[in-house]
Amino acid sequence: MSNNLQKKKIDSATILSAVIVLAVYALVFLAEQTLPATSMLFTVLKKGATYALVAVSMNLLNGFTGLFSLGQAGFMLIGAYVYGIFTIPVMSRMDVYQYYNGGLVQFTLPVFVAMLLAGLAAAFFAFLIGLPVLRLKSDYLAIATLGFAEIIRALFQWDKLGPITNGSNMLRLFPTFNDFNIRGADGQVTVYLSTLMPLLISGVCIGVIILLINSTFGRALRAMKDDEIAAEAMGIRLASHKRLAFCISSFFAGVGGAMLAMYQNTVQAKSFTTAMTYEILLIVVIGGLGSVTGSCISSFLFVACSEWWLRFLDQKQVLGGFEVPLLRNGFRLVVFSIIIMIVVLFFRQGIMGTKELPDLIRGWQGRGKRQAKGVRSK
Amino acid sequence: MSENVLHIDHLTMRFGGVVAVNDLSMDINKGEIVALIGPNGAGKTTAFNMVTGVYQPTEGHITLLGQDITGRRPDEITKLGIARTFQNIRLFSSMTVFENVLTAHHLRRTSNFLTATFRLNAAEERRMRQETEALLKEVGLYELRDEMATSLPYGKQRLLEIARALATKPSVLLLDEPAAGMNPQETEELGEFIKQIKDKFQLTVFLIEHHMNLVMGISDRIYVIDFGKQIAEGTPFEVQNNPAVIAAYLGVEEEEGQAEEEVEQR
Repeated sequence: MSNNLQKKKIDSATILSAVIVLAVYALVFLAEQTLPATSMLFTVLKKGATYALVAVSMNLLNGFTGLFSLGQAGFMLIGAYVYGIFTIPVMSRMDVYQYYNGGLVQFTLPVFVAMLLAGLAAAFFAFLIGLPVLRLKSDYLAIATLGFAEIIRALFQWDKLGPITNGSNMLRLFPTFNDFNIRGADGQVTVYLSTLMPLLISGVCIGVIILLINSTFGRALRAMKDDEIAAEAMGIRLASHKRLAFCISSFFAGVGGAMLAMYQNTVQAKSFTTAMTYEILLIVVIGGLGSVTGSCISSFLFVACSEWWLRFLDQKQVLGGFEVPLLRNGFRLVVFSIIIMIVVLFFRQGIMGTKELPDLIRGWQGRGKRQAKGVRSK
Repeated sequence: MSENVLHIDHLTMRFGGVVAVNDLSMDINKGEIVALIGPNGAGKTTAFNMVTGVYQPTEGHITLLGQDITGRRPDEITKLGIARTFQNIRLFSSMTVFENVLTAHHLRRTSNFLTATFRLNAAEERRMRQETEALLKEVGLYELRDEMATSLPYGKQRLLEIARALATKPSVLLLDEPAAGMNPQETEELGEFIKQIKDKFQLTVFLIEHHMNLVMGISDRIYVIDFGKQIAEGTPFEVQNNPAVIAAYLGVEEEEGQAEEEVEQR
C-alpha cells in the first residue's frame, strides 16, 4: 500500500518536471518568433545549450563515475572538426581549403549524420586513449587527459594534415544554427528554429544521458564512484565500465563540439584551449557534481553572465555625471573570477548538490503536505 | 554432504620481506560454516583477499568447485560464486538501501549499455527489483529500503552488506568480522541469522571473527592461524582445548603483557 502511494508521488514529480521542460521549450519557440533575432537572449540560449550538453557529459565522468578527466576540449575539437569537414558544401571547398587545393574530402554528409559521426569519432579517440590512460587514478588521470587535449590541438593544426583539417586555417561555410530557420520562397525566414533546434538536440542528448544514469549501468558507475573495491567485489568489472563511461562522455562532448562549431560559424583548433575545459569544469562544479539539472542551469547562468549580464563592466559607465571607477575592458573577468571564488569557497555543493529537478518538486510536495497536515491538526 | 566447495592449497603471500600468509591449506565443504581465527595481524584478511582476488598469491592455488580461480580478477571470482563482506563496512554511500542491493544484481545482467539505456531490458530490470524487494524482506531491511545506506545504525549496515553480497547469488559467502562493533545481543542474533541464510540460500559460509562466542556457537570447523601459519584445525571443542591455540591467544611467558591486552580487546 505505502509502496503504491510512493510510486504515484514519484510519477507526479517526474511528470511535473517534464511539463516544466516542455513549457520552457514552448516559451523559447514563442520568444523566437516574436523577439528580434539579434537579441542577446538567443545567443545565450544557443551557447548555453551547447555548454549544457558538454557539461552534462563531463558530469557523467566527474560527478557520477568519479573519473577526474580534463580532456573535454580535446573531444569537442574532434567533434567540431569532424562536423565541419564533412558538412562543408562541395562547391565551397575550394574557398575553404584554398591552400590545400580544395582538400581531400569531396563529398557532403547531412547535418545530423555528421553530428553523429562527430560523436562517434570522439568516442573512438576516447577508446584508444582510454586503453593506457584509464589505468591512472584521480589527479594523474586529469593530467594525462589534459595532455591529450593539448596534443590533439597541436595535431589538428599540423600542416601535413592540411588536406583534411585545413591546417591552422579555419573551417567555415558549413551549415550553422541559422540554417535551421525555415525560409519562404522569397528567402525571408518564416519560422525561426535557430534557437529551438540546438536546445532540442541538447535536450535529447541529455535525456539519453539521464536514461543511462538511471539504468543498471548508471548504478554500476555510481557504485564505482562510491567505493571501487566494493563495486569490484559485487562483480562490476572496473576497466570495462570506466571505458564505457569515458567513451559515452566523449561521444556527447563530440556532439557538443559539433554544436559549438554551428554556434561559432567557424572552427579553428587553437580556440579549443585548456581554458575551455576549465570553463566547463567550473559549470559542473557550480551546478553541483552529480546533478544533471545543476549542470544545465549553471551552463545558462554562466554563459549569460560571461556574454551578457556582466558586459557592462567592460565599458565606461557614467551614473549621474559621475564616472564609475575601475570599469574598463577586462574588468568583467575580474568580477567573474571573484564570483567563482565565492561560489567555490562558500557553496561547495554547487547550486543543486546531487539533487535533480524531480527531487526538488518532491521536496516542495512534501513540504506542502506537512503544512496541510499542520493546518488540519490546528 | 562432504562435497568440497573451496579448496585452498599451500597458499603463501609475501609483501617484500614480510610473509603475511605462510603455506595455508584449507578445505571447505558444501553447507559448512568454517571460521578462520587468529590474533590480530595473523593474516586472516590477507587470506580472504587472496580468495576473493584482491591479492595475487605469491604461491599456491585456490580452487572453487573444481575450478582453479587463482589470480582471477575480483569481479570474475564474484561471478563464479564467491561473495564477501568487508571488515570496515564498504556500502555505496550515495545510494539507498534498496539501490545498494539492486546494484549487486548488475553482474547477472544480460543487457548491454544500449539496451539498458533505452529500456529494452524492462523485464530484466523488473526482475532485479522484485528480487531485491524479496531479499530485503528476507533479511528484514524492507522497511528501511528508502533510507540512505550510511544513515542506518551500525548493525543494520552490516546486515545490508550481507544482503548485498547475497544478491550476487553466491555459493560461498565470505564474512570478514561480521560481528565487529556489535553488542552481545546483536552478536547472538547475527549468529542465528547466518545459520538461517545458510540454509535458505544453500550457502557455504567462511568467516573471520573475533567474537569467540559467535565462532564457537555456529562453526562446524575452525582453522587457527598465527603469524600467517596454520597452528590448529578442528571442531570448536578440539580447537578450544588445543595447547598451541591457547598459547597463541593467551601468550607464553615472555608475551604475557601483550596477550593480556589482546584478551581485553576481545
